[in-house]
Amino acid sequence: MDLFKTLHIAASGMRAQGTRLRVIAENVANAESLAQTPGGQPYRRKLVSFANAMDRELGAETVRVRKIMTDKSEFSRAYQPGHPAADDDGYVLRPNVNTLIEMTDMREAQRSYEANLKAIEASRSMLQKTLQILS
Amino acid sequence: MDGKLSITDVIAKRMQWLTARQNVLTKNIANADTPNYIPRDLKDGSFTRALSRQSQPIRPAATNSSHIQGVSLRDPDGRAREQEELYETAPAGNAVVIEEQLVNMTQNQTDFQTMTQLYRKHVAMIRMALKGGSA
Repeated sequence: MDLFKTLHIAASGMRAQGTRLRVIAENVANAESLAQTPGGQPYRRKLVSFANAMDRELGAETVRVRKIMTDKSEFSRAYQPGHPAADDDGYVLRPNVNTLIEMTDMREAQRSYEANLKAIEASRSMLQKTLQILS
Repeated sequence: MDGKLSITDVIAKRMQWLTARQNVLTKNIANADTPNYIPRDLKDGSFTRALSRQSQPIRPAATNSSHIQGVSLRDPDGRAREQEELYETAPAGNAVVIEEQLVNMTQNQTDFQTMTQLYRKHVAMIRMALKGGSA
């Protein structure tokens, strides 16, 4: 039944968005994670990429997380001479996480998640309408 | 029914088509953040062609137990074409606009409901004929 397939597809989309939310939460939680030793690297922001995948068992194209990559952008520097990770000039490398960006990303993931939920609701109501023929 | 399509047959075919479209739309929503994904849709015009064509693909008959029944790798809704008019495309090459897809989905849902209601009406009419119009 094709309508059941749509439920699986939407669920795969929700799972992918869930993973994205998890990674965003990691980024936000580690927004202040600095290095322990001088010259050490702080937390590097992570990115999620999605891909279209053919589920042969299901016979439908679903979506999955292709890769969790790291953001290559540069770290910012803050002057904190007392910090254990400070270099000779007294600067500490800070994570390349921008909480504002993470928040907008989170909203987007949330909306996509809700859209998938709506798709499930639509499919469910269609199934229900079919079943109502019997009554 | 003298070779013509009965109304129940037409309704069933239409519901089949709407189910396939629901499948395609769900896929679009699930892939709302997949890079380089172009949303797809079924053309309404193909409905008449779909009516005259058998929906199941032709398969070779297995006459021996050692014959392997191949699984069709073709996308079950391979008739879905990429949308020609794109509203906007994200820098990552994704052209899914969730709102548009949700509108399509609601429309699909309403059409489906129309079909089930028509069917119920039809059955009620048959019932009325059987009862002798006392209803």
